[in-house]
Amino acid sequence: MKHPNHHTFHTLRLTLPTGVSPLCSLWEPKLAPCNNNRGRRFVMLLLVVGALMLASCAEQVSNARQEATTPEIYPDYVDVTIPVGIAPLNFGMKSDEAQLVDAVITDAKGHTLHGQGRETTDFDIDDWHKLVSQNVGDSLSVTVSAKLADGWHTYRTFHLYVSTDSIDYGLCYRLIEPGYEVWSKMGIYQRDLSTFEQRPVLENTQFQGCVNCHGFNRGDPSRMSLHIRGPHGATLFLDEGKLTAYNTKTDSTLGFCVYPYWHPSGKYIAYSTNTTRQVFHIRDANRIEVFDAASDIQVYDIEHNQLIITPSLKTDSLYETFPVFSADGKWLYFCAARALPEGSMSLDSLHYNLYRVVFDAERGSYGDAIECVIDAGDSLTVCFPRPSYDGRYLVYSLANYGQFSIWHHEADLWMLDLATGERRPMTNINTSDTESFHNWSSNSRWMVFSSRRDDGLFTRPYFTHIDADGHETKPFMLPQQNPRRFYRELFMSFNVPDFIRGAVQMDNVKAVELINADYREPMGVVER
Amino acid sequence: MWRSKALMTILFGLAVTLFFALAYPHHLHFQEQYQLFLFEGSYVRDVLSVPGGLADLLGRFCTQFFLFSKVGAIILGVLLVVVQLMTARLVGWNWSYGLSFVPAALLWVFLLNEHALLGGVWALILVMLATWDVGRIANPLVRSLVTLIVAPLLYWLAGPVAFLFAVLMLLREVRDGTFVSRFLGLASVLLLCVLAAVLPHFISVGASRLWHGVHYTRYPEVFPRWLWLAVCAVAVLSIAGLFVKRWYEPAKKWVRPMGSTVVVALVIALGVRVMMNPRTEQIMAYDYMARNQQWNRILQTADREMPNNPLMVTALNLALSMKGLMADNMFRYVQNGVEGLLPTFVSDPVSPLTTSEAYYHLGMINTAQRFVFEAQEAIPDYQKSGRCYKRLAETNLIVGNYPVARKYLLALQKTLFYRDWANETMKLLDNDAAIGKHPEYGRLRSYIVNDDYLFSDRDLSAMLGRQFMANRRNRLAFEYLEATYLLSKDLDSFVNRFNLSESIGYPRFPTVYQEALLLWWSREHTANEQMPPGIDRSIFQRLNDFYAMTNRKAPVEQIAQRFGQTYWYYYFFVK
Repeated sequence: MKHPNHHTFHTLRLTLPTGVSPLCSLWEPKLAPCNNNRGRRFVMLLLVVGALMLASCAEQVSNARQEATTPEIYPDYVDVTIPVGIAPLNFGMKSDEAQLVDAVITDAKGHTLHGQGRETTDFDIDDWHKLVSQNVGDSLSVTVSAKLADGWHTYRTFHLYVSTDSIDYGLCYRLIEPGYEVWSKMGIYQRDLSTFEQRPVLENTQFQGCVNCHGFNRGDPSRMSLHIRGPHGATLFLDEGKLTAYNTKTDSTLGFCVYPYWHPSGKYIAYSTNTTRQVFHIRDANRIEVFDAASDIQVYDIEHNQLIITPSLKTDSLYETFPVFSADGKWLYFCAARALPEGSMSLDSLHYNLYRVVFDAERGSYGDAIECVIDAGDSLTVCFPRPSYDGRYLVYSLANYGQFSIWHHEADLWMLDLATGERRPMTNINTSDTESFHNWSSNSRWMVFSSRRDDGLFTRPYFTHIDADGHETKPFMLPQQNPRRFYRELFMSFNVPDFIRGAVQMDNVKAVELINADYREPMGVVER
Repeated sequence: MWRSKALMTILFGLAVTLFFALAYPHHLHFQEQYQLFLFEGSYVRDVLSVPGGLADLLGRFCTQFFLFSKVGAIILGVLLVVVQLMTARLVGWNWSYGLSFVPAALLWVFLLNEHALLGGVWALILVMLATWDVGRIANPLVRSLVTLIVAPLLYWLAGPVAFLFAVLMLLREVRDGTFVSRFLGLASVLLLCVLAAVLPHFISVGASRLWHGVHYTRYPEVFPRWLWLAVCAVAVLSIAGLFVKRWYEPAKKWVRPMGSTVVVALVIALGVRVMMNPRTEQIMAYDYMARNQQWNRILQTADREMPNNPLMVTALNLALSMKGLMADNMFRYVQNGVEGLLPTFVSDPVSPLTTSEAYYHLGMINTAQRFVFEAQEAIPDYQKSGRCYKRLAETNLIVGNYPVARKYLLALQKTLFYRDWANETMKLLDNDAAIGKHPEYGRLRSYIVNDDYLFSDRDLSAMLGRQFMANRRNRLAFEYLEATYLLSKDLDSFVNRFNLSESIGYPRFPTVYQEALLLWWSREHTANEQMPPGIDRSIFQRLNDFYAMTNRKAPVEQIAQRFGQTYWYYYFFVK
């Protein structure tokens, strides 16, 4: 529970100039009301002693050498654009040589926020939120000093731009070690973006299986599709608190339903069904190749509990995958490549293009004509298309070949303007390493994407702001209380990050019971 | 009298220590390699975040010392002695003193299983300590109130073994307490039941594990039978101590207590003998030796007793090749086909580790890395492994993936026994020149193929061929390549690749290769013809003798006796 004086303490500290110890003036008035209560006085005394001990760690920046450059910090938050409500962007110096990092954030109105620590700035969360919310549409100046072996260095001030566009409540993702075929402990987790709190939605510790392919309808946490692989395989469907375990494999379809994407009406979910294989490179930096030996597309009609299939999306000569609905629900976009000849392992000849087909939500049927939206040619491949919910853009991953850009270091994100048909690389967010899976916030102004830029292996989520003209800003990494320690100690990748508009409420006991049970609700199949 | 007690306890501790140090040392290495104790806040927090966390943490802390089996054996000896002494407090010094060894002996049997975790032993110790300490409170009301507070706390610290505490304290109240204290004692038991029933709603732990143990064994869903037998033994002895007063009467002579101890000791010895698994110990020994590159020791072990398990054969073949003896001696030992060279991947935490050693020394670093990674992922209780982290740091270092290598090294710097190595290895990061000069990493880096291709265990020989062609000084790759042909009895391919051996520079024509070449030659030539160049006359003669013996249909046992260590015997008689 938060101490009643907690907020006051930080409000006072917020207004103090850098380097001045806030202790004496701060706590004396607070002790007065406690005089009549020995117990409370004792508690307060303890708090004062604790605060003194903490404050004694703070060191005043003195005789600092002024550097002409902006600081090299981890994560790199220099000149990034942030939303209101985001958790404090704590950071440390990139180099381990720094003994202390000190940051002062100021705004044009004279408010100041100070953070200092050995590894991280550790800004007070309440003060941070207050300062950021006071500067919507404006910028914050950040002056960083680092104590190195030869004393303090103060770097050129950089800025944090506070966007007028809000971000959703949280993020949902899978945490898994970036391995090969075997899985250890893993799960689907949710993170409140305004704090550092992460909670499991479902972990695989109570059943044998791997959880993956989670999908929400535009971030609605009350409805979720989640696939469980392994001996207790099922597609778990959360609908307003009710859980059902489905067997999505039918006699007339290829296999289980994966890669879900909700229709905006909430009546359908598009899935692909894939015969997925993995092979391993002997030398290449791209360790693993995940590919399909067959794949089709089908749409699940929730109300009638049936999969809607059509021959044109179920061909042997093509691998169809990654289906997504357009923002208005009238189109079904998907990727497809010419199937490899039987037994062929020429995976570098697999090039997926982006296609679309009309989807009639009233009748639950597909159109006849399939239209090619992006022809990637013979040297590139399109993966993970994600249309913005306002219908303006579609962002996709572009790699050299194959359908699993997550394991391709060359993979980058590209944006397609659905109004003009123009497409361009998102240069402000791409790096020489992998940029792959991505999703839009519900207002289509923020995008979360996965990147391996940190070390080339462990995927981390980054956020970028996309303005009305489709311009992306320099991305920022998911904030953590102590990012250096957190990301160093985390040997897991963030998979399939997606925004959620509220906390996912799943009855874990019930979910585990359903998964461990033999019964699976069957699905019908209809061809239209 | 105390001298007799001390003597018996010391003897017991000594027996436990000697057993694990001499008969079961590789079980201790095995235990150590499936955990990674980190001096790190988040690690400790994670372990403590489930019931039984403290016992588990203490167990893991002790297990890290198992890297040195003798230290591990002493730790086990001490812990089991502690259990025995605490049990002895319950039964007193009397005719049944020998029974005080029963719970400790049952724990000994429990620990014979390679998947039994030391956390289970610590749980029992914590619970017995709590039982003893709270039991000293004389006032029934205070005692039962303390019990009510301690029981859930103990459940969280020690796990479901805490039920023992609650039950024993309830029985204590039944005997000595008041109505209120008995009620509170019962409430303590019920409180634990409620805890175990409702906790699945709050933590991601299987419901059944909250009743029998969250982390007492590596396979958490498996019921730790021997641990619970030890718990039951403590319960029975305690109950007997509580209700059969004459047990408390001290023995007047040492004969009866000593006699009961001797009887129990005999039963213990018999039980341990029956329950121990020397075969598993042997397999673990081979893996341990391969891990530590003790090639000579592997060969000596195989000379003493022929390997009888595929993993042993894998380690043995690796040792033979590392010592340059494969081309001469591989058929002196049991061979089980290509699987004995490079076994197919199996998703368990054991087999891929030994196999990865072979891929590592072959210079197939990505594959070695995959096998190690997967072995670690397959650890059933989701722990990480010091051995695996170390190897993953090495493989990433060799292939030049420095940021990932750094990540593993940073973690190893937070350990007790891998820290020094990690500190030293840190110096190699981003330093290609230093790696190039490193006797192991430099050599292995030079073995990496230039052109990428996809791994296929169905086409092992093609992969080994590419591996050798990438660096013709890679003798291991050449010998493994030729061995795949020999083991699959593909003599044509063996002979076709044989001219590649020039770059290896064998000082003389290796025996196995002579045998194989001669066998291939003999299929189209007669004994009267000129034998191929380089073949020893004695080997030529032996082949003639072999043919003579098989042509006259001599019993296979006789042929095996005379030619069992030749390639010819493998070719014709081993399926």
